[in-house]
Amino acid sequence: MEAFFAIFNTDLLVATIRLSTPITLAAVGATICEKSGIVNIAMEGMMIMGAFFAVIIAYYTGNPWLGLVGGVAAGGIFSLVHAVATVTFHLDHVVSGAVLNILSFGIVRYLMVLFFGHPGTTDPIPVGLGGYQFAIPGLSKIPVLGPMFFNQTPIIYMSFILIVGALFFLKKTKVGLHLRAAGEHPLALETIGVSVYKMRYLGVVISGLFSGLAGAYLSIENAVSFTEGMSNGRGFIALAAMISGGWTALGSFAAALFFGFADAFQIRMQIFKVLPIPAEIFIIFPYIATVIAVAGLVKKSRPPRADGIDFMIEREDG
Amino acid sequence: MNKVFKTLTLLIVVTLVFGVVFSSCKKKEEVVEAAPVAKPIVAMATDTGGLGDKSFNDGSFQGLKDAAVDFNLDARVVESKQQTDYVPNLSGLAEDGAEVVFGVGFLMADALLEAAANNPDTAFAGIDVWIDPSSAPKNVQGLLFKEQESGYIAGVVAGLLTKEHASVSDRLNDDNVVGMVLGMDIPPVERFQAGFYAGVKSVNPDCTVLSVVTGTFTDQAKGKESALAMIEQGADIIFQIAGLTGLGALNAADEAGIAGIGVDVDQYAVAPDAIITSAVKGITQASYLTIKDVVDGKFVGGDNKVFGINEGATGIAPYHNWNNIIPGVVKDAVDKATADLKSGKVVAPASRAEAGYEG
Repeated sequence: MEAFFAIFNTDLLVATIRLSTPITLAAVGATICEKSGIVNIAMEGMMIMGAFFAVIIAYYTGNPWLGLVGGVAAGGIFSLVHAVATVTFHLDHVVSGAVLNILSFGIVRYLMVLFFGHPGTTDPIPVGLGGYQFAIPGLSKIPVLGPMFFNQTPIIYMSFILIVGALFFLKKTKVGLHLRAAGEHPLALETIGVSVYKMRYLGVVISGLFSGLAGAYLSIENAVSFTEGMSNGRGFIALAAMISGGWTALGSFAAALFFGFADAFQIRMQIFKVLPIPAEIFIIFPYIATVIAVAGLVKKSRPPRADGIDFMIEREDG
Repeated sequence: MNKVFKTLTLLIVVTLVFGVVFSSCKKKEEVVEAAPVAKPIVAMATDTGGLGDKSFNDGSFQGLKDAAVDFNLDARVVESKQQTDYVPNLSGLAEDGAEVVFGVGFLMADALLEAAANNPDTAFAGIDVWIDPSSAPKNVQGLLFKEQESGYIAGVVAGLLTKEHASVSDRLNDDNVVGMVLGMDIPPVERFQAGFYAGVKSVNPDCTVLSVVTGTFTDQAKGKESALAMIEQGADIIFQIAGLTGLGALNAADEAGIAGIGVDVDQYAVAPDAIITSAVKGITQASYLTIKDVVDGKFVGGDNKVFGINEGATGIAPYHNWNNIIPGVVKDAVDKATADLKSGKVVAPASRAEAGYEG
């Protein structure tokens, strides 16, 4: 039993932050997307694109910061496909999302052979962002919270800022209000002269940028190379986090933290051998916990009213 | 009307893009040497990992290429993109007239048996595939490795360095803990794990040996977190048995300023300062020797062939940067362990149960 309590230390919480960051980013981005009325299941694909292009650019320029920009941009550009398909061409949102996910695997594999001569894993980049860990003076000395929030790597800091930014954007800005209206009552928005199409494009692209950043975190901050399949379903976990977080930025963050905690916890359960059960049970624990959270514990989870509902303006010439 | 038209257009565009992307990376035959006179063909089908994994598939193909040079053959490879490609790929190579067809990876076992039954005149060999001698066709051979021997020798190195000789490098500490990061818990991985555990314990009975199963061979972040969690517990040497997941584990060891041990092939290049050695597995020798058997007419199917230390197929990679750090006594202990394994004086355990390891 003593070993069990030894698991609960600051390291566990720091690991929780590291494990949840990519999920948090993708989930918060997806929240903004769905607030605008577009269902997004393509975070996995956008993450893969972000992760891959971050490495490609960091590899050829030798600068991880340019890689970061490249990864974010790649996620954004790739998400435009989803925006064009769903907003302009009124394609079913889930179908388009599934296409993006599958397409990303093919594109990345093709480009890997093109750039590196083989699929599998890329050559390592010269410098990763992991080396840029810095402690914020003063704040990092606070027990427990200090190491968790104030002694981290760049993209983790960015994720904190982006959560606050997303909250502010959705609640306090005019554009945020318009974006939410596009997902709740698009006709009303169009009536006051604001383009629903534009708001939905904005929502999708923001989600792409966030997912691209999540991918860059995996490939150039947490690692120094890109590996096929390295996102390992995190985009889908982000989807679950967004839903169990009740389509809110804070809720998504909390749900992602929960998943990260469950994962960090199961790794330590394996190490401390507290329970004599097979490792497979531990491995599925975070997923089961998420399913339970989505299915049972979260009662009041309501998507935006017009989420996934196509909006088409009948123009004179159309 | 307009909407239907637009949707259709989009669907067509997407289909075309798909076609272009996937057709370009489908079945790719790599002919190593143009054959003016028809040379005998030796061929292999990769598993879904494909060439470029710097491990399994690349290692097997290297054996084919080496044999092609030595015996004047034509080496061919077909990459499988998904598991349903296995049987068509294997059968297709047999129909091309290959003398021997290799299937790479334990996931190909069933496909290999099916292809062998359909092409009784072609020899088939499966790397990491165990076949049942009582029911398997007579033209298929399973090629297995004693990974536990490589693990054992790497364990001897780790066991001695983590405690007795911890002072030789500031990457090592006095906590007497080592850790393993596993991919999926499949037999070859378990053999590495059991051997490593036994090797560590043979020279350092008090050592704490930790292990984490990640359940994936591609997730670097998970490998890294698993390694970090063990480093928090004082581990100063991390042995990765997790394929690409393990790259994250070695990366974590490097960043945390501790040491790592690679797997399958010499992984020194992943983190030159951190990697002491790698527990290697002679996939190249296995495919080479099998081709030699076929050429010499000594190929015997219907059974498994196990490659171990006496075939030069198991052991550890060179120490590289650690060569001048590792004390002579440790190298002597490695030589002794190698000799003991060769003579059969020591038998490395092939499973956790045999090793008495709960992890």
